[in-house]
Amino acid sequence: MDTTITIPKGVRNFFIEVGEMSFFAGRFFKEAVKPPFEFKELLRQCYQMGNRSLVLVLVTGFIIGLVLTLQSRPTLVEFGAESWMPDMVGISIVRELGPVITALVCAGRIASGIGAELGSMRVTEQIDAMEVSGTNPFKYLVVTRILAATQMLPLLVIVGDAVALYGSAMVENFKGNVSFQLYFYRVFDALSFGDLIPATIKSFFFGFAIGLVGCFKGYNSKKGTAGVGLAANSAVVFTSMLLFVIDFIAVFISDIFFDL
Amino acid sequence: MERSASEKIRLGIFVVLGTALLVVAAYLIGNRQNMFGSTFTIHAVFNNVNGLQQGNNVRYAGINIGTVKRIQMINDTTIVVSMVLQEQIIEHIKTDAITTIGSDGLVGSMIVNIVPGNGKASQVSSGDTIVSYSRIGAEDMLSTLNKTGENAALLTADLLQVTEALKQGRGTLGRLLNDTLMASNLEQTIQNLRIASSNANTTLKQVNKFIEGESFKNSVAGVLLTDTISGNRLKKTLINLETSSNEIVSVTRQLDSLVTDISEGEGTLNYLATDTILVKNLDATIINLKEGTARFNENMEAMKSSFLTRGYFKKQEKEARKAAKKSKQ
Repeated sequence: MDTTITIPKGVRNFFIEVGEMSFFAGRFFKEAVKPPFEFKELLRQCYQMGNRSLVLVLVTGFIIGLVLTLQSRPTLVEFGAESWMPDMVGISIVRELGPVITALVCAGRIASGIGAELGSMRVTEQIDAMEVSGTNPFKYLVVTRILAATQMLPLLVIVGDAVALYGSAMVENFKGNVSFQLYFYRVFDALSFGDLIPATIKSFFFGFAIGLVGCFKGYNSKKGTAGVGLAANSAVVFTSMLLFVIDFIAVFISDIFFDL
Repeated sequence: MERSASEKIRLGIFVVLGTALLVVAAYLIGNRQNMFGSTFTIHAVFNNVNGLQQGNNVRYAGINIGTVKRIQMINDTTIVVSMVLQEQIIEHIKTDAITTIGSDGLVGSMIVNIVPGNGKASQVSSGDTIVSYSRIGAEDMLSTLNKTGENAALLTADLLQVTEALKQGRGTLGRLLNDTLMASNLEQTIQNLRIASSNANTTLKQVNKFIEGESFKNSVAGVLLTDTISGNRLKKTLINLETSSNEIVSVTRQLDSLVTDISEGEGTLNYLATDTILVKNLDATIINLKEGTARFNENMEAMKSSFLTRGYFKKQEKEARKAAKKSKQ
């Protein structure tokens, strides 16, 4: 072999994985802009991902908003800063918790789904059959899924944010005698585009990462039926890790442009 | 379209390093604020920055215009604070602007406030140092307040005593406040004073008129007041009187010292004047002398009659008789 022989095996495999995925992403961009476009399949995937993840996101978001408010209430009450609750919860949900929690939930729901689906197609040689029949499996299976995930995730994040704020408002309404109107007035008063825009841009990248990793793991799965499980599992693990890396970078960059 | 392992590794390394580089770049850019858009730097010197830190906001007339770039300790009382400000604000900051350090709300972080001057001075340029005003720290303020409070407590205690005394009518002020009789007396006194002053006024007028009149000029008082020759004489007389009195004083002093010497010294005079034993001795001596002379007379009589000395006495008598005869002739 060449110079790579001195690199430890774990590190080498890591770099190979990253390199493979980068090639996979490059191929996605190449295929995505090249006609023909699979609109019908794209819409189907959007429905699948968006609709089927919606309930999960709603429940998670609502509970997160509710719990966050309940947990931070005593501290704020101690400082006499109860009236700052909408500002605090609103900003923390819109900026950080909404996108990250939604993306993590979707990583479990969507990335594992894609990984398992494409993995089983690979293992049962359906992908090979598609290639033989003249259909471009990458375009039909991978591009549509990644695009669908990229588009659906920001929408899910916005829905998740809204529900989380609703959950928070409910607690404030019960415990603090704050009307919904006042609560949401305070939330929107505290929020600015500097909070919303970076979070929304970030969630596009989250969606892309979920779709990409899911498809990559599924599309390249090997070793028979065991490979399907492995693909689904590693898709979730790798996506979750990647989400935090993207979040980390996104916060740094938005810090420069929006002066948090 | 299978790629070789080395290609994959190279791309993997590139992606990982690229991501790391992006993070580092983002961190560095984010850390050094105001990187986008041109900036300028000004300085201010403080002796206490009250917990100001790098990156704290700088406000000009309440607007955030930049951040604190560096806080440098020059010596124990001089701290130079360098501030990076937006270029477009430079035309509004004049050289007579004043920097102070304040806090952003009760629990907020510290900020640098640039207070505009009166606007007549020239515009600042990058690198200038503008005047600072050190705010009194909270601790200093509290200690001053503490002293003020203690003083106030003492004052109020004293005031309480004074007002108590006033209420009870003790002291002059108390009597003034409470004694109605005194008030009427005072009123009467003031009326009398008024009458007296009007009388004095008329008297003075009369005196004035008299002085200005002819009869006054010929009177003794007039002469005394107007005659310069008499005045000079009087002056001389007075000078002579003064010298005489001075001499009298010196003589009296000498006499005084002499008397003191006599009474306190051990000279003969003092001895004579004060020693009572001497007087007694003298007395006794004179008595003895008297007795002695009486006895001597007896002895002399006896000697006249004695045959041994009779011849001498007779010779003497003869010579006496001769002398008497001579004087008769």
